[in-house]
Parts: sequence; C-alpha cells; structure tokens
Amino acid sequence: MIAARKRAGLPDWMVIARRELLERLRTPWFIIVTLLGPVMMIALVVVPVVLGRVGDQTARIQIVDRSGRLGEPLRVALVAERWRAELVAPDTDEQLLLGRIRDDRIDGFLIIPAAAPTAGTFVYKGDNGSAEPIMRSLNRVIYGVVLAARGDALALPADKVAALLAPVDITTRHTTGDDQGSSGLAAFLVGYVVMFVLYLSIVLYAANVLRSVVQEKTNRVVEIMVAAAKPRALMLGKILGVGSVGLIQVTVWAVMGVVTINQRGALLGAFGVDAGGWSVPPMDAVDVGVILTYFLLGYFFYAAIFAAIGAMVSSEQEAQQAQTPVMMILIIPMLCVQLVANDPRGAVAEVLTQVPFSSAILMPMRWSLGGASTVSLVVSMLILAGSTFLVARLAARIYRVGILMYGKRPSLRELVRWLRY
Amino acid sequence: MLAVRVVGISKRFGNHVAVDDVSFEVPAGVIYGVLGPNGAGKSTTLRMINDIIAPDSGHVELLGGLRPGPEAAPHVGFLPEERGLYPKMRVLEMIAFMGELRGLTGRDARRRGETWLERLGLAQWRTNKVQDLSKGMQQKVQFAAAMIHEPELIILDEPWSGLDPINADVLRDVVREQQAAGRTVLFSTHLMEQAEQICEHIFIIARGKKVLDGRLADIKRTAAAEGRVALAFEAGADRERAESVLADRTLCVAVRPAATGEHADVEVELAIGAGAQRLLAALVGAAVALRRFEVVTPSLHQIFVERVGRDAAETAVRVPTEAA
Repeated sequence: MIAARKRAGLPDWMVIARRELLERLRTPWFIIVTLLGPVMMIALVVVPVVLGRVGDQTARIQIVDRSGRLGEPLRVALVAERWRAELVAPDTDEQLLLGRIRDDRIDGFLIIPAAAPTAGTFVYKGDNGSAEPIMRSLNRVIYGVVLAARGDALALPADKVAALLAPVDITTRHTTGDDQGSSGLAAFLVGYVVMFVLYLSIVLYAANVLRSVVQEKTNRVVEIMVAAAKPRALMLGKILGVGSVGLIQVTVWAVMGVVTINQRGALLGAFGVDAGGWSVPPMDAVDVGVILTYFLLGYFFYAAIFAAIGAMVSSEQEAQQAQTPVMMILIIPMLCVQLVANDPRGAVAEVLTQVPFSSAILMPMRWSLGGASTVSLVVSMLILAGSTFLVARLAARIYRVGILMYGKRPSLRELVRWLRY
Repeated sequence: MLAVRVVGISKRFGNHVAVDDVSFEVPAGVIYGVLGPNGAGKSTTLRMINDIIAPDSGHVELLGGLRPGPEAAPHVGFLPEERGLYPKMRVLEMIAFMGELRGLTGRDARRRGETWLERLGLAQWRTNKVQDLSKGMQQKVQFAAAMIHEPELIILDEPWSGLDPINADVLRDVVREQQAAGRTVLFSTHLMEQAEQICEHIFIIARGKKVLDGRLADIKRTAAAEGRVALAFEAGADRERAESVLADRTLCVAVRPAATGEHADVEVELAIGAGAQRLLAALVGAAVALRRFEVVTPSLHQIFVERVGRDAAETAVRVPTEAA
C-alpha cells in the first residue's frame, strides 16, 4: 500500500469557495451593481428633495368666489406666497375655466362655495392637483383665510385668532422603555431598510446558488467536480463562495449608506438644500451583530434549500418552476412587515420572528424597533441556527444523490429514498 | 502491488442491474482497458472505483489497499465520461483549480499546469477563457486537469470519444509516457482498435457481467491455440478436393469464407485437439494445392465480437444517463 500523501494545499471547500467568489467578483456586473447601489441610495435621498426645491412651488390660478367675501383675502394671501392668483366673475362657466387649463393659460381654478366660511366645499381643479407640496400650501392658505373669517364672525380680533392658531410642537420618539428612544420615523425606516436589504440579498444570492448548481449540470462540469471533491464540499464551497460575494456587496452598501445618511446635511448642502432635522438612530455593536447574524443564518438557510432544489432539477426552466414555492414563502415576511412594525411587541410579531422561514428577515427589524426581548432574540437565533443545520444536512443528502441526475425530476417518494441513503 | 482490486461489486438502478458481481485486478504499472459495448456497465464500474457512486455489494481497493474516496483522491486522476469545464475560467486557472482540489498548493498547481499546457501544445492559450477553445482543445485541457497532480492511478472513461486522429495520437503518447513513468492507466472504450494498440491487459464486460479478462497477449494466444487457419487455394479444383477434408468434424468444426482483404479463401476453425499440422497433412494427402496456409491470430475485434456476441454488441441498450 502506498503511503497516503499528505494534502499540501487548501481543503476542497475553500478552493471551491474561492473559485465561486473570484468568478463573481471579476464580472463587470458585480462592479456596476456594487457601485450603482450606493449611487441609487444617494439619489433616493437627494433627488426628491432637490426636485422639490427646484420644481414649481407656485401656480397660476383663477378664483371663482361664490361667497362674495373670501375671494379677495384669499387672492392677497396667495400672492403673498408668490402665486399668481386672480379673481374672475362668480358666474364664470366651469367649461370655460377647464378650457383655459387645456390651453395652459392657467394651472387651475378654485371655487369658493356660497356658504363659506361656515359651510360648503372648496373645490380646486388643476393640472397640479396631485402635486403634494403645492396642494399643501394651497390648503394652508385657505385654512388661514377661512379661520380668520370665522374669527371675524365671532368678533375675535386677528391677534387672538393668531394666538389660537399658534402651532403646537409635537415630537414622537420611538421607545420600548429605553430612555434614549429614537425618532419614530427614523427607527421604522432603518428597520425597514435593513429588512429590505436582507430580503433582497437572500433572494439574489441564495437563488444564485440554485442557478449556479443547475449551470454546472447543464455544462457537465459537475462530473469532473464530483470526481475530485465530495458533494458536501461542493455544496459548502458554493454556498460560502456566493455568500461571500453577497456579504462583500452588502457591506459596501451598508458603509456607503451610513456615510450617505450621516453626511446627508453636507450632501444636500452641496445642492443648496436644507437637510432637515433627523439623523440615523444610534446603532451599537449589538445591533450590527444581530443584523449580520441574521443575514448569515438566513442566507445559509435559504441557500441550502436552493442548492438542494438545484440538485433535483436539470434545466433552468425546471429550476424556475421548482423554486416558485420557496420564493412564495420568502414573500410572506415581506407582506407581514406592517404587522411587525405596528406592534413589534405583539404576539404576531413574536411568532413571525421565531419561525425560521420569516425570522431572518423580520427579526432585525423587530429588534431595531426594540420589540424583542433578549430572550426572544436568543431563542429565535437558536431556532434559526438549528433549522439551518438541519436543512443543510438534508440538502447535502439530496445534493449528493441528485447532483449526478440528469433528466426526470425525482418524485416525492424517490426524494425520501435519497434522504435515507 | 495491485493498482486496483475490484471484488464482486454490483450496482442496481431500479430494475436494471448495471453491474453484476464483477471482479478484476489491475496490476500496478500497466495500461488496462475495460472494453464493452455501449451500456455494458463500464462507466458505472469506473464510477464505483472512483467513489462517485457506492456499490450495492462488493468492494474496491486502490493502490494496494486504499479505500476509494478522500483517502485515495490525491493518488487518483479521473476523466469522467460526461465532461465539461467552467466556460468562463481561464485555461491555466481551470487546470490549476483541479490540481488544488486534488491537494496541490496553488503555486505548485500553476507550475504543473504550465508544464501540461506546454506538453499538450496549448501554451499560447493559457490566459484565454475555456469557452474560446475548440472542443478538441477543451478535451486536452480536461486530460491535463485529470493528471495534473501526477496520480499513481489514472482512470479515463472513453478518453478517445470526440478526438480527431491527431489528438488521439497525442493522447496515446501521453498514456504511454505515463506508463513509462511507472503509473497505471485504466481506461474504458468501445473502440477495439485503440485498445489493441496500447493495452497490455483487458477486461471485457457485457450486460453488466464479466466476459473475460487477462493479458491481451495471453488472450490472443489462447484464442489462436484453439485453432484458426486461413487457407488460400491454387485453383477452383483444389477447393473442391478440399471439401471432403474440411467436412471431417474431427478435424474442423466450422468453415467460413474469409473476411475480404485477408488474402484467403476460407477461414477454418479447428476441432479441439485437432491441431493445424493434422489439417495440413490431411489436405496434402488429398492433393490440395495451397497458396497459403496460416495459423491466424484473431484481432481483438474478432475476439470481442465472438465472446460478447453480435447480439449483445448490437442490441445492448444504452443505460439511460439518469440511472447511470
């Protein structure tokens, strides 16, 4: 018997993982997507604000005053807001006004009801009827004029009306008992973004494992690979390699995303826009660890399922069909986001963040909203880790038998037999 | 030392018995051919030897006692029947990658990859993507990938299929070189000519069962000793005079027209124990004038067809790949 040669190089799974990683890192697509991701993120923050500022904030309107008393104050108030507003005869035909909008002589017209300011409905029609900031300022102006008129009717002097209408300062903080709290909106947004990135990367990269398994079958390289390495090493290497690509990409995005949001003021300032008040709620090492853990576990969980599916099918078309049920399951947590966000401490949220199919996606969000106790978090992680381990073991068995199958997809009965091999 | 020892392995796929209680031994340092018609169980046997599938019963020992699998992997090179490469990988990287899977360090794998590319005339393609290569070139890359770790045992499943004559010669040279370097080459083929040119030992399998095995020279000698003589007559009259001699069943059991191109009129299969000399004496005694009297060594092709039977050779169904 010859002396068993000692392995000089890396273990098989590492060699395979490195190949999968390098093959993907070298494609121009990886670079494009990785760089475009943050550009899109920056655009998401900057573009709406800039457009809001740059775009038309005022309008040319005509006012049909059927009340006979609010038209003039309203016109004055609008002009003060740099609108171009003019009164027309109270009996002006609506068709005529619509015609003027068609000819682009005005943006719209406002009809003041005869019963104003006590009753009746103000009607505005215009090509900017769906422009939210413009309608908001129109609303504000009408409101002010109507309230002033009502105060007048009640013999309240203008300064008292103003005192009544002085804005009430309200801020909402999101907290579940911790005195820091954070801006409610910001906490939700961060949770939402984290959830969405997790969902996206699991769908993208775990499904990529499936495609790459099927491709190895269709170009027949799998036989050479199986001859040189154990199927388990093949599966592990592939999942790790593709996962590393995902991890690198998500890390790049996260870093650039955090920088973008923290430098939001400077960025917007460069476009001559005021950044507004909110900043990212504080994230500590634990939060980052939770997100990372769920990303890894969730990815492994689904990647193992997808790898097993890949081993069962022999063409891209079949793969499309076979992965549909898993994709459906992945959508469920997306549909349940509001349930968790509205009541992060409720029973529904608890269940959704313990079940392994949805916990990877929803738990980081629930955690960032402070809805999960540490016990709940640890239990959820253990359940997910345990299920991932089980799924990976089953997948490895299916993979071992299925990887060399071409042609017919196995029936459920055959599948059970594979698992027992 | 035995390079391969196969002991009573069987493999069944559903109702189909692909390999049925097959045993054989491959001595170290020889070129060994596994021959058989399509679907005979060659690939299944080689897959079991490489631990790609496990036999239902029986076992395999490699290189004097190693079990197939991780233990033997660094010492064994395998070119499977279904072969492909990663189309987007560069040629040298692809070969080095396979070397690393067989336990080489990255640097060593690249160095040896370079040497192989040089040897196979692919050096100028080393940084091209695999998909840019022609089919024949890709196949050479596959050979290099199977042999880069200098395995003591090289197993090739149908290595000549799809190769043009020039590349087939290159491969044959490589196989001989490997043997000269003391390595064992085990390959399967259904091309008898290729096997006859380079094999020392053969194993014939049909319908999952062993038909015969041994040294090719011995097998041929045995087949010849059983007696086969080619005859060419001087004239038609000689042939008629020979009829009565050839009809004697104690002398010869069968008379067939000789294959065209053999420069003979008939081929005679001698009765057991008859011997060529007795036939010659009988013919001369009957005043048959002969232009040719030759004890024939049958070609491997003839032995194969006779032993396996035309039937098996032609009707053997291809095992569906999904079962194989």
